[in-house]
Amino acid sequence: MVITRRNPVISALYLILNFFCLAGLYLTLHAQFIAVIQVLVYAGAIMVLFLFVIMLLNLGDEQRLKEKISFTKIIAAGLGFGLLMELIYIVGFIDVPMPAGDFSKGVEIGTVEHIGKQLFTTYLFPFEITSVLLLAAMVGAVVLAKRRMD
Amino acid sequence: MVEQLIANLRGFIPEVSLAVTFCVALVAGLIVKKHQQEFISVLALVGTLIAGVFVLIYADQSQTLFSGMIVADPFATYFKVVITLCSIIIILFSQYSSEVQQTVKRMGEYYALLVAMTLGMFLMVGATNLLMMVLAIELTSLTSYILSGYTKEATDSSEASLKYIIYGALSTGLMLYGISILFGLTGATDMFGVNQALAAGPVNAIALLIASILIIAGFGYKISAVPFHFWTPDVYEGAPVTITAFLSVASKAAGFAVMIRFFKVCFIDSNVVGLPAGMWASLQGFEWNNLVAILAVLTMTLGNLVAVWQDNMKRLLAYSSIAHAGYMLMGVVVLSDKGVAAVLIYFAVYLFMNLGAFYCVMLVANKLGSEHIDSYKGLGHRAPLLSTAMVVFFISLAGLPPTAGFIGKLYLFAALLDAQWVWLAVIGALNSVVSLYYYVRVVRNMFLRDPEGSAEPVALPVAQVVILLALVIPTLVLGLYFGPLVDFANASVVMFGLP
Repeated sequence: MVITRRNPVISALYLILNFFCLAGLYLTLHAQFIAVIQVLVYAGAIMVLFLFVIMLLNLGDEQRLKEKISFTKIIAAGLGFGLLMELIYIVGFIDVPMPAGDFSKGVEIGTVEHIGKQLFTTYLFPFEITSVLLLAAMVGAVVLAKRRMD
Repeated sequence: MVEQLIANLRGFIPEVSLAVTFCVALVAGLIVKKHQQEFISVLALVGTLIAGVFVLIYADQSQTLFSGMIVADPFATYFKVVITLCSIIIILFSQYSSEVQQTVKRMGEYYALLVAMTLGMFLMVGATNLLMMVLAIELTSLTSYILSGYTKEATDSSEASLKYIIYGALSTGLMLYGISILFGLTGATDMFGVNQALAAGPVNAIALLIASILIIAGFGYKISAVPFHFWTPDVYEGAPVTITAFLSVASKAAGFAVMIRFFKVCFIDSNVVGLPAGMWASLQGFEWNNLVAILAVLTMTLGNLVAVWQDNMKRLLAYSSIAHAGYMLMGVVVLSDKGVAAVLIYFAVYLFMNLGAFYCVMLVANKLGSEHIDSYKGLGHRAPLLSTAMVVFFISLAGLPPTAGFIGKLYLFAALLDAQWVWLAVIGALNSVVSLYYYVRVVRNMFLRDPEGSAEPVALPVAQVVILLALVIPTLVLGLYFGPLVDFANASVVMFGLP
């Protein structure tokens, strides 16, 4: 639905639906934290950005792309078909044995509490370095944008 | 926990002082008035110097910091010294580059980002966790994207920056994908953990190979090895010359450091006995060094052959720096301490000669406003000192005695022949001959051609002459008296946690 709609705003709204589905997938994998972040960051913040860009660009009526069958399209279709066959084969015909073991630890890993603990103990140092990285990126963005203005 | 963190901070003072300098320079850039911007360069210089002093004070430590995220060991210290020297020289260059001084309105952020980049490189050379490694590479890359697009309203600087970002994003993506495969195979992000998991039992060889190729793509991008070099000429040409010089030396040094550490720590087989001293073996017969050998041959051959056709000095030096990355990769191939030591020696030498060559190009561009090879015609008569210095750097880059470049190459080839990689050494030697051609072409233009247009002498201010001499003298001295450097390099091949 995202790519078949003619109106970009409607496509973007369908993309939100897509993000929610992805969050659902994360939930089934017991990754609650990532699921929540997925909704907050992607469906929330990033989609607003998308919509702003679409509206600022003020897209008029999209010109209908001329349908031409070129060499690259044939290759692309062939590759796509090959991948689809592979997927069907894997899902349908190969029996993946379930690895044995205790999975209760995996359930625990996805919780907010566990992630918070890890982030501020073992991974405290990378966490701090990320702040330097983001500060540098922010300064850079301002510098590069400002140069064009003055 | 907290006590442990504070204890760890002690081994981390150089990086802390860089981080503080970064923040202070940023704030100072906002406070200081426009005509007093030199103040910030002094600030950045002092901050980097302090970091360098701390590196030397804590040079003898060998320990792991922050839950195994980074280590401080002799290997990292050596590269930190090289990188600090390079930063200091670049900050001095920036003072005298009319390109930077005239076009940049705000110098505060420029120096702050330069310091942040140095910090990123410091972290790169010490990273022993894959997560930390990626983060450090990103910090370095991100600041270099910004700095390469910093000056000039003209399009080529912006084009350079954009190309750099696109290639950078792609290679980071590839590397992350490779790391995720490696994590899937071994279940560890810690390099020592990866090593243990690989040593414990055989893993899928094809998956390991694919992961390594993808990770090499990330490293190859940082050291501009063929076929990940496409950004190099454009970025080197478009970026301000100071940043080009910085990228070609410090960024490359950090890239090599992280690459050597990654491959050595992850894939060393510490259970193999009977190897000659100073050699090490690769786990499970996983011959990653063959991959690197192919990369080395491609890199130096393409770099040298394409450099022959270049007319823009910055592009010429860009391809020459690609070729030099190829030479240095040969030192990684041999899997011996001797090879690593040769790379270390080469970097110390390369620091002076390559920065010197870029400095000469910068000074000529300051005076003549051109980087084209034709504008060098007759320069030997107009600026004898500058031209002579340039000849010294070029001879050194080509690897002829009695300059430092010869010593660098000598140790590289000695390590190769020691490990029976004769064919690779032959290709390397042939490449050196090719490289001589394009270096001499510039020298011929300077001394054997009559100047076009004006023939008035080009005078240099005293301060610039001092910096020039500070680069020429090590290039010559290290060619004749290289004992201490070799000893320092040999002592620095020791990595934390490895025999």
